[in-house]
Amino acid sequence: MTPLTLETLRDCARVAGFRWTDEDLETIRPALERALAMLQDLETLGLSAVEPATQYRIL
Amino acid sequence: MTDVVWSSLTELRRMIGTKEVSPVEVVRAYLERITALDGTLRAFITVSADQALAAARAAEAQLMAGGATGPLHGIPIALKDLFQTRGVRTTGGSRILAESVPEADASVVTRLVDAGAIVLGKLNMHEFAYGPEGLNEHYGDTRNPWDGAETRIAGGSSSGSAVAVAAALCAGALGSDTGGSIRIPASLCGITGLKPTYGRVSRAGVLPLAWSLDHVGPMTRTAADCALLMGSLAGYDAADATSSVLPVPAYTAALSRDVKGLRIGVLRETFVDAAAPDVRTAVEQAAAQFQMLGASVDEVRLEQAGHAAASALAIVAAEALAYHAEWLRTRAGEYQTDVRERLRLGAFVSGLAYVRAQQFRTRLRDAVDALLARRDVLLAPATPITAPRIGEREVTIDGKTVDVRSSLLRFTRPFNLSGHPVCALPCGFTAGRLPIGMQLVGRPFDEVTVLRAADAYQGATDWHTRRPPLS
Repeated sequence: MTPLTLETLRDCARVAGFRWTDEDLETIRPALERALAMLQDLETLGLSAVEPATQYRIL
Repeated sequence: MTDVVWSSLTELRRMIGTKEVSPVEVVRAYLERITALDGTLRAFITVSADQALAAARAAEAQLMAGGATGPLHGIPIALKDLFQTRGVRTTGGSRILAESVPEADASVVTRLVDAGAIVLGKLNMHEFAYGPEGLNEHYGDTRNPWDGAETRIAGGSSSGSAVAVAAALCAGALGSDTGGSIRIPASLCGITGLKPTYGRVSRAGVLPLAWSLDHVGPMTRTAADCALLMGSLAGYDAADATSSVLPVPAYTAALSRDVKGLRIGVLRETFVDAAAPDVRTAVEQAAAQFQMLGASVDEVRLEQAGHAAASALAIVAAEALAYHAEWLRTRAGEYQTDVRERLRLGAFVSGLAYVRAQQFRTRLRDAVDALLARRDVLLAPATPITAPRIGEREVTIDGKTVDVRSSLLRFTRPFNLSGHPVCALPCGFTAGRLPIGMQLVGRPFDEVTVLRAADAYQGATDWHTRRPPLS
């Protein structure tokens, strides 16, 4: 996985509506890189055709 | 009155009902114990002494007048401080909500009070329930009562609930569980906790961490006490869009202590085999105990559990951010450090990752259902490790270094994703006298079988009766 640059983090945070300092972003960068690597794992599971468990049901 | 505080809910109900003890005596006994011990344990954020005593006097008067009483009449309980309480601040363990006083009770609080319970106060927790350690920079770190040196975590996020029950500062408590927040502290503190099926107990009026994973449940010293509280907690609530309309069974009446013929699948790979040796041994001995009680035991695999961390990460991070976004923009400095950093991660979870995580939940739920198609209950350790020291970030299991936070969540969060009911209960102690917990997983809405199995185990063992070394 390509390492995240500070510029990328700034842009992503801004798109999500947050203006965090470079220090804030540097603080979370190691955890974020680990998290994104974990999320990438979900792409390997062949889940495209599986219905997500998001609908509320009367049980 | 020392022994009264150690009585089970079931026993207290009998003693109050027969006027052997009065609700006022019982409440006073707990309040005295809180005064004596909670300066160190830090289980409570708010103690509602005056309100509790007033409620106890009213309960006593009602009893003396021979009026009708509810199933929890005069029994003192306490609430994790994310259950809204009318007129009593509900902080979520945060500075942001330090002065927040709700105008209404959470639905489950109303149910407990209507059943006669008396609320002693609000319990400490990891800030906004976002952490399995149970640490809190604002109200102090809750201390594990089993550690005489007071240096170990209680587990979280329902840390105060577990400590208050384990140290007999209340008769029972409510917790919430998004990734293990009832079961982790129950395991580390040697008590019994139930995460019911998603939809079985209302979440209305409970501060959320992640709506689609949040569960509410009882934390007590015995499975029978969990069953007693569930009788009042469970049931449809129009105020919760995910609430089930299925009828509520008679939980207490189902505790036959008979598990003959019960089919138990032991989750071996990725669960028992991934636990520390003393935990592994204790769970294997628990499986043997069930066999001695007449249950049949085999070994099963839940391969999908290995991907649960990624799924839970995407869902919790995204949903928690949705709740906290405004405060994160305007009051970020008021969060404790670890929680602020976790919340910020949510800004980088894509829509695709969130939906993939929900798709994975479907697959995981189907896999757990498949295991339970031919078994009644699954058995696993609740946590791979016992209580680590405060500040300890890594521990060693079989020579391998593992992250404490990930490790604490590892065995519990698959069942938040799948929604199945799970009871955590003590199944042994380490040589250093720290509790070891296991979990029993049941079919959706079959809390009865899970509680029956847990109660039968507690009828044959005494782990749940041991008391921490408190002065």
